[in-house]
Amino acid sequence: MSVATVTTDINIGPFKIPSNGQNMIMNNYTQRKNIKVEFVIPEPMMSDQLATTQWCHKDYGFSKVILCSIHQLPKEEKYLNDLINNMSEVEFHFALEGISGAGKFFLLDCSKEAKIFLNAEKLDSSKTDWLELYDLFKSKNL
Amino acid sequence: MMNLQEQIINGKGYAILPIENLNNFNKLRDQFIEKMQSLTNEKRLEKMRLVIANMTKSQINELMISLLAFDQASEILIDSCKNIVKSLSGDKIFLQRRATTIFNIPGDNQRRQWPHYELMSGVSPFTFVLWAPFHDLDDKGGIFYIDLNNSYEMIKEEHKSGIVNGPIILNKDYNEKPAKLKYGEVIVFCPFVLHGNVNFKSDQARIACSARFQSIKKPLLQKNSDFFKFHQI
Repeated sequence: MSVATVTTDINIGPFKIPSNGQNMIMNNYTQRKNIKVEFVIPEPMMSDQLATTQWCHKDYGFSKVILCSIHQLPKEEKYLNDLINNMSEVEFHFALEGISGAGKFFLLDCSKEAKIFLNAEKLDSSKTDWLELYDLFKSKNL
Repeated sequence: MMNLQEQIINGKGYAILPIENLNNFNKLRDQFIEKMQSLTNEKRLEKMRLVIANMTKSQINELMISLLAFDQASEILIDSCKNIVKSLSGDKIFLQRRATTIFNIPGDNQRRQWPHYELMSGVSPFTFVLWAPFHDLDDKGGIFYIDLNNSYEMIKEEHKSGIVNGPIILNKDYNEKPAKLKYGEVIVFCPFVLHGNVNFKSDQARIACSARFQSIKKPLLQKNSDFFKFHQI
């Protein structure tokens, strides 16, 4: 049984993390959790299917897969179901959120939470300032 | 609870309140003590505070990192103050995944929370903070809070120079009296209230716990799923 870290496209939900940064995040996580990594899987850019990971799993039988975030899970239901069906016994770890688990319900919960965050309204901090944010606080809070 | 909203948004920007479910908060303190036993070789909080007061800055840092694994702490704290949270943010919230444990060490030249606004961290203007000590704050130390109007005046003054939460507030002398909290009380405050802690003399460290939350119906700023999780009260 093997442990793999997985890098994906630079765009990860609300985050933009280069693969070098993704590796740093996952390596720090595995060190803290005392997990020894044997495989580093690069998923292709502009894809969130985690298909390469599933192909490799057939050959190597991963026990644990480490990702940076729940936002790297497939968005489309079909691809999420493929992942669940093919890797239901694998323990998934999401380093930024600091959560881990295995099985259909865990992955569905993670996907649901990712969608809640994806659908949440966001303020663009590059297009505002402290005074405008203060005005929002006063006008939109009650 | 309308008064609380008024107090936080149009009043001082902070309020000191009794913790609603003290039994729940006692459980949080007891779990904290249990986790700290192996790290301090002490079983009682008062003794732990003595040990921590003599730790090096790097030891304190390691302690804080190890406590990040205590990932139920934020839920227990929030569930101890349900009505406070609901009145400010409703029952569906984004809740800080890992509560912050704060160790304040007595003496000069210690690591401390310098004056800051919570907004500097990238939480949204709709985020609120709950902060509760694990014991009475009975020395002259503690966190001071500058009321919202005066905090805003400083933000405006700093904003003219292009940097908020910069040298102007960091170099300022604060003669504010720290809030005197008893065990079983919590302070709730908005992200624009300037606060920090003063040097203090004691043979014991101060230990507190804090968690941030906002309504899921309000926009996020820079903090996302890395910092918050979805939580229904």
